[in-house]
Amino acid sequence: MGPLSHLKIVFTGTAGSGKTTAIAALSDTPPVVTDVRNTDASLGKEHTTVGLDFGQVDLGDGQSVRLFGTPGQLRFEFMWRIIATDALGLVILVDNSRPDPLDDLSIYLDAYKDLLPTMSCAIGVGRTLECPQPAVDDFCEMLAARGLVLPVLPVDVRRRDDVLMLVDAVLVQAEMRL
Amino acid sequence: MFSLRSSLSEQSHNAARALFAEIDGARSVVVATADGFELAQAGPGHGDASRLAAMVSSFAALGDAASRESNIGTPRCLVIESTDGRLLVRCMQVRGQSLVVVVLADKKVLLGLVWHQLALAEKLMNAE
Repeated sequence: MGPLSHLKIVFTGTAGSGKTTAIAALSDTPPVVTDVRNTDASLGKEHTTVGLDFGQVDLGDGQSVRLFGTPGQLRFEFMWRIIATDALGLVILVDNSRPDPLDDLSIYLDAYKDLLPTMSCAIGVGRTLECPQPAVDDFCEMLAARGLVLPVLPVDVRRRDDVLMLVDAVLVQAEMRL
Repeated sequence: MFSLRSSLSEQSHNAARALFAEIDGARSVVVATADGFELAQAGPGHGDASRLAAMVSSFAALGDAASRESNIGTPRCLVIESTDGRLLVRCMQVRGQSLVVVVLADKKVLLGLVWHQLALAEKLMNAE
Protein backbone atom coordinates (compact mmCIF):
# COMPACT_ATOMS: atom_id res chain seq x y z
CA MET A 1 0.00 0.00 0.00
CA GLY A 2 1.27 3.44 -0.89
CA PRO A 3 1.50 6.62 1.13
CA LEU A 4 -2.15 7.43 0.44
CA SER A 5 -3.39 4.03 1.58
CA HIS A 6 -5.45 5.05 4.63
CA LEU A 7 -6.87 8.40 3.80
CA LYS A 8 -9.09 10.75 5.69
CA ILE A 9 -11.22 13.23 3.81
CA VAL A 10 -13.48 15.70 5.60
CA PHE A 11 -16.78 17.00 4.26
CA THR A 12 -17.79 20.38 5.56
CA GLY A 13 -20.21 23.16 4.61
CA THR A 14 -23.40 24.79 5.81
CA ALA A 15 -26.21 22.87 7.49
CA GLY A 16 -28.33 21.37 4.72
CA SER A 17 -25.55 21.38 2.12
CA GLY A 18 -25.62 17.59 1.98
CA LYS A 19 -22.64 16.34 3.99
CA THR A 20 -24.52 13.45 5.61
CA THR A 21 -26.18 12.58 2.29
CA ALA A 22 -22.86 12.66 0.41
CA ILE A 23 -21.14 10.34 2.88
CA ALA A 24 -24.11 7.96 2.87
CA ALA A 25 -24.09 7.94 -0.95
CA LEU A 26 -20.43 6.97 -1.17
CA SER A 27 -19.80 4.84 1.89
CA ASP A 28 -19.48 1.08 1.42
CA THR A 29 -20.65 0.56 4.98
CA PRO A 30 -23.69 1.97 6.76
CA PRO A 31 -22.52 5.43 7.87
CA VAL A 32 -22.20 6.49 11.47
CA VAL A 33 -24.54 9.43 11.93
CA THR A 34 -25.11 11.72 14.89
CA ASP A 35 -28.26 13.46 13.74
CA VAL A 36 -30.71 14.78 16.29
CA ARG A 37 -34.02 16.57 16.03
CA ASN A 38 -33.50 20.14 14.85
CA THR A 39 -35.01 22.96 16.93
CA ASP A 40 -33.75 25.80 14.72
CA ALA A 41 -36.66 26.90 12.53
CA SER A 42 -34.33 28.81 10.18
CA LEU A 43 -32.78 25.55 8.97
CA GLY A 44 -36.06 24.17 7.67
CA LYS A 45 -35.25 20.53 8.22
CA GLU A 46 -36.22 17.93 10.76
CA HIS A 47 -32.83 16.56 11.76
CA THR A 48 -29.32 17.95 11.93
CA THR A 49 -25.83 16.59 12.57
CA VAL A 50 -24.31 17.65 15.89
CA GLY A 51 -21.33 15.29 16.24
CA LEU A 52 -19.93 13.88 13.04
CA ASP A 53 -20.68 11.59 10.14
CA PHE A 54 -18.41 8.71 9.27
CA GLY A 55 -18.21 6.34 6.35
CA GLN A 56 -15.62 4.36 4.42
CA VAL A 57 -15.07 3.61 0.78
CA ASP A 58 -12.69 1.14 -0.82
CA LEU A 59 -11.19 2.61 -3.98
CA GLY A 60 -9.41 -0.62 -4.96
CA ASP A 61 -5.69 -1.48 -4.89
CA GLY A 62 -5.87 -1.55 -1.10
CA GLN A 63 -6.70 2.12 -0.96
CA SER A 64 -9.43 2.95 1.47
CA VAL A 65 -10.81 6.41 2.21
CA ARG A 66 -12.36 7.34 5.52
CA LEU A 67 -15.03 9.97 5.09
CA PHE A 68 -15.79 12.35 7.95
CA GLY A 69 -18.55 14.96 7.99
CA THR A 70 -18.66 17.98 10.26
CA PRO A 71 -21.73 19.61 11.78
CA GLY A 72 -22.56 22.67 9.66
CA GLN A 73 -23.64 25.31 12.14
CA LEU A 74 -21.17 27.87 13.42
CA ARG A 75 -21.86 26.92 17.04
CA PHE A 76 -20.15 23.59 16.27
CA GLU A 77 -17.00 25.26 14.96
CA PHE A 78 -14.97 23.48 17.65
CA MET A 79 -15.77 20.18 15.87
CA TRP A 80 -14.57 21.50 12.51
CA ARG A 81 -10.95 21.57 13.69
CA ILE A 82 -11.15 18.38 15.73
CA ILE A 83 -12.47 16.42 12.77
CA ALA A 84 -9.97 17.93 10.32
CA THR A 85 -6.97 16.83 12.37
CA ASP A 86 -4.65 14.69 10.21
CA ALA A 87 -6.99 14.88 7.23
CA LEU A 88 -5.54 14.58 3.76
CA GLY A 89 -8.18 16.76 2.22
CA LEU A 90 -11.30 18.76 2.55
CA VAL A 91 -14.51 18.88 0.54
CA ILE A 92 -16.52 22.05 1.07
CA LEU A 93 -20.15 21.67 0.04
CA VAL A 94 -22.14 24.75 -0.91
CA ASP A 95 -25.92 24.90 -1.23
CA ASN A 96 -26.64 27.25 -4.15
CA SER A 97 -30.27 27.70 -3.04
CA ARG A 98 -29.18 29.60 0.07
CA PRO A 99 -29.27 33.42 0.10
CA ASP A 100 -25.50 33.99 -0.27
CA PRO A 101 -23.58 30.87 -1.35
CA LEU A 102 -20.34 32.82 -1.91
CA ASP A 103 -20.47 34.11 1.64
CA ASP A 104 -21.21 30.59 2.89
CA LEU A 105 -18.08 29.35 1.16
CA SER A 106 -16.00 32.13 2.66
CA ILE A 107 -16.98 31.03 6.19
CA TYR A 108 -15.36 27.63 5.65
CA LEU A 109 -12.38 29.02 3.74
CA ASP A 110 -11.74 31.29 6.72
CA ALA A 111 -12.21 28.48 9.22
CA TYR A 112 -9.63 26.30 7.46
CA LYS A 113 -7.43 29.17 6.28
CA ASP A 114 -4.25 27.96 7.95
CA LEU A 115 -4.72 24.37 6.73
CA LEU A 116 -5.51 25.12 3.08
CA PRO A 117 -1.90 25.79 1.99
CA THR A 118 -1.03 22.18 2.83
CA MET A 119 -4.40 20.42 2.55
CA SER A 120 -6.06 19.36 -0.69
CA CYS A 121 -9.51 20.85 -1.17
CA ALA A 122 -12.42 20.64 -3.59
CA ILE A 123 -15.62 22.66 -3.67
CA GLY A 124 -18.93 20.95 -4.48
CA VAL A 125 -21.84 23.20 -5.40
CA GLY A 126 -25.29 21.68 -5.03
CA ARG A 127 -28.76 22.55 -6.35
CA THR A 128 -27.26 24.32 -9.38
CA LEU A 129 -30.09 23.23 -11.68
CA GLU A 130 -32.74 25.04 -9.61
CA CYS A 131 -30.37 27.87 -8.69
CA PRO A 132 -27.74 28.42 -11.39
CA GLN A 133 -26.39 31.61 -9.80
CA PRO A 134 -23.74 32.12 -8.64
CA ALA A 135 -22.10 30.21 -11.46
CA VAL A 136 -18.99 28.07 -11.16
CA ASP A 137 -16.96 30.96 -12.62
CA ASP A 138 -18.16 33.21 -9.80
CA PHE A 139 -16.87 30.74 -7.23
CA CYS A 140 -13.55 30.47 -9.09
CA GLU A 141 -13.20 34.25 -9.18
CA MET A 142 -13.95 34.47 -5.49
CA LEU A 143 -11.29 31.82 -4.78
CA ALA A 144 -8.78 33.57 -7.06
CA ALA A 145 -9.33 36.80 -5.15
CA ARG A 146 -8.15 34.87 -2.10
CA GLY A 147 -5.15 33.50 -3.96
CA LEU A 148 -6.67 30.02 -4.18
CA VAL A 149 -6.98 27.75 -7.19
CA LEU A 150 -9.34 24.92 -6.28
CA PRO A 151 -11.63 22.68 -8.33
CA VAL A 152 -15.27 23.79 -8.20
CA LEU A 153 -17.72 21.11 -9.29
CA PRO A 154 -21.50 21.22 -9.64
CA VAL A 155 -22.78 18.12 -7.84
CA ASP A 156 -25.84 16.23 -6.77
CA VAL A 157 -24.65 14.71 -3.50
CA ARG A 158 -27.32 12.00 -3.71
CA ARG A 159 -25.39 10.56 -6.64
CA ARG A 160 -22.47 8.35 -5.72
CA ASP A 161 -20.53 9.22 -8.86
CA ASP A 162 -20.74 12.93 -8.10
CA VAL A 163 -19.38 12.44 -4.59
CA LEU A 164 -16.68 10.16 -5.93
CA MET A 165 -15.70 12.93 -8.35
CA LEU A 166 -15.15 15.28 -5.40
CA VAL A 167 -13.06 12.69 -3.58
CA ASP A 168 -11.08 12.11 -6.76
CA ALA A 169 -10.44 15.85 -7.11
CA VAL A 170 -8.96 15.83 -3.60
CA LEU A 171 -6.85 12.73 -4.27
CA VAL A 172 -5.43 14.10 -7.52
CA GLN A 173 -4.24 17.22 -5.71
CA ALA A 174 -2.77 15.11 -2.91
CA GLU A 175 -0.83 12.95 -5.35
CA MET A 176 0.54 16.07 -7.04
CA ARG A 177 1.83 17.24 -3.67
CA LEU A 178 3.78 14.03 -3.02
CA MET B 1 -39.67 24.21 16.17
CA PHE B 2 -38.43 27.23 18.15
CA SER B 3 -41.57 27.12 20.28
CA LEU B 4 -40.39 23.79 21.67
CA ARG B 5 -37.44 25.60 23.13
CA SER B 6 -39.58 28.38 24.56
CA SER B 7 -42.03 25.94 26.10
CA LEU B 8 -39.27 24.14 27.98
CA SER B 9 -37.55 27.29 29.18
CA GLU B 10 -39.22 27.49 32.59
CA GLN B 11 -38.76 23.82 33.45
CA SER B 12 -35.15 24.03 32.32
CA HIS B 13 -34.39 27.02 34.51
CA ASN B 14 -36.08 25.38 37.49
CA ALA B 15 -34.17 22.16 36.94
CA ALA B 16 -30.81 23.93 36.53
CA ARG B 17 -31.33 25.93 39.73
CA ALA B 18 -32.48 22.87 41.71
CA LEU B 19 -29.59 20.72 40.52
CA PHE B 20 -27.06 23.40 41.31
CA ALA B 21 -28.53 23.81 44.80
CA GLU B 22 -28.79 20.08 45.55
CA ILE B 23 -25.48 18.77 44.23
CA ASP B 24 -22.65 19.32 46.64
CA GLY B 25 -19.59 20.14 44.52
CA ALA B 26 -21.49 21.42 41.48
CA ARG B 27 -19.79 24.40 39.87
CA SER B 28 -22.43 24.95 37.24
CA VAL B 29 -25.34 23.28 35.49
CA VAL B 30 -26.36 23.75 31.86
CA VAL B 31 -29.55 22.47 30.22
CA ALA B 32 -29.46 22.26 26.42
CA THR B 33 -31.43 20.91 23.52
CA ALA B 34 -30.02 17.82 21.81
CA ASP B 35 -29.03 20.04 18.87
CA GLY B 36 -26.89 22.23 21.07
CA PHE B 37 -28.88 25.28 22.12
CA GLU B 38 -28.54 26.45 25.72
CA LEU B 39 -31.90 26.53 27.51
CA ALA B 40 -30.77 27.37 31.03
CA GLN B 41 -27.68 27.76 33.16
CA ALA B 42 -27.20 27.91 36.92
CA GLY B 43 -24.14 28.63 39.00
CA PRO B 44 -21.30 31.07 38.48
CA GLY B 45 -20.36 29.36 35.24
CA HIS B 46 -16.93 28.65 33.84
CA GLY B 47 -16.61 29.85 30.31
CA ASP B 48 -19.36 30.27 27.79
CA ALA B 49 -22.47 28.20 28.63
CA SER B 50 -23.70 28.33 25.01
CA ARG B 51 -20.40 26.82 23.79
CA LEU B 52 -20.58 24.15 26.47
CA ALA B 53 -24.15 23.38 25.39
CA ALA B 54 -23.02 22.80 21.78
CA MET B 55 -20.04 20.70 22.87
CA VAL B 56 -22.09 18.53 25.19
CA SER B 57 -24.71 17.92 22.52
CA SER B 58 -21.94 16.67 20.20
CA PHE B 59 -20.56 14.50 22.99
CA ALA B 60 -24.01 13.07 23.74
CA ALA B 61 -24.66 12.36 20.05
CA LEU B 62 -21.31 10.59 19.72
CA GLY B 63 -22.16 8.55 22.81
CA ASP B 64 -25.47 7.63 21.25
CA ALA B 65 -23.79 6.58 17.98
CA ALA B 66 -21.19 4.50 19.87
CA SER B 67 -23.94 2.83 21.94
CA ARG B 68 -25.92 1.95 18.82
CA GLU B 69 -22.80 0.65 17.11
CA SER B 70 -22.12 -1.54 20.16
CA ASN B 71 -25.73 -2.72 20.45
CA ILE B 72 -26.09 -1.51 24.02
CA GLY B 73 -29.14 0.64 23.55
CA THR B 74 -29.55 4.30 24.34
CA PRO B 75 -27.06 6.11 26.57
CA ARG B 76 -28.40 7.68 29.72
CA CYS B 77 -25.27 9.14 31.27
CA LEU B 78 -21.81 10.12 30.09
CA VAL B 79 -18.82 11.18 32.16
CA ILE B 80 -15.71 13.18 31.37
CA GLU B 81 -13.30 12.55 34.22
CA SER B 82 -10.62 15.21 34.09
CA THR B 83 -7.68 16.09 36.32
CA ASP B 84 -9.47 18.96 38.05
CA GLY B 85 -13.12 18.07 37.82
CA ARG B 86 -15.88 16.16 36.10
CA LEU B 87 -18.45 16.82 33.44
CA LEU B 88 -21.51 14.66 34.08
CA VAL B 89 -24.03 14.47 31.26
CA ARG B 90 -27.51 12.99 31.25
CA CYS B 91 -29.59 12.58 28.10
CA MET B 92 -33.28 13.17 28.84
CA GLN B 93 -36.65 13.05 27.19
CA VAL B 94 -38.88 15.86 28.37
CA ARG B 95 -42.32 16.09 26.80
CA GLY B 96 -41.08 14.37 23.69
CA GLN B 97 -38.08 16.66 23.35
CA SER B 98 -34.50 15.35 23.69
CA LEU B 99 -32.44 17.37 26.13
CA VAL B 100 -28.96 17.09 27.55
CA VAL B 101 -28.11 18.27 31.04
CA VAL B 102 -24.50 18.75 32.08
CA VAL B 103 -23.20 19.22 35.59
CA LEU B 104 -19.71 20.66 35.91
CA ALA B 105 -18.51 19.40 39.27
CA ASP B 106 -15.54 19.06 41.59
CA LYS B 107 -13.79 15.73 41.84
CA LYS B 108 -15.23 15.21 45.34
CA VAL B 109 -18.77 14.91 43.95
CA LEU B 110 -20.44 11.53 44.47
CA LEU B 111 -21.48 10.11 41.11
CA GLY B 112 -24.40 8.08 42.44
CA LEU B 113 -25.92 11.14 44.05
CA VAL B 114 -25.54 13.17 40.86
CA TRP B 115 -27.22 10.46 38.76
CA HIS B 116 -30.02 10.33 41.32
CA GLN B 117 -30.50 14.10 41.20
CA LEU B 118 -30.47 14.11 37.41
CA ALA B 119 -33.04 11.31 37.26
CA LEU B 120 -35.19 13.25 39.71
CA ALA B 121 -34.83 16.39 37.60
CA GLU B 122 -36.05 14.54 34.50
CA LYS B 123 -39.05 13.26 36.43
CA LEU B 124 -39.91 16.72 37.74
CA MET B 125 -39.51 18.37 34.35
CA ASN B 126 -41.95 15.93 32.86
CA ALA B 127 -44.39 16.44 35.73
CA GLU B 128 -44.36 20.27 35.60
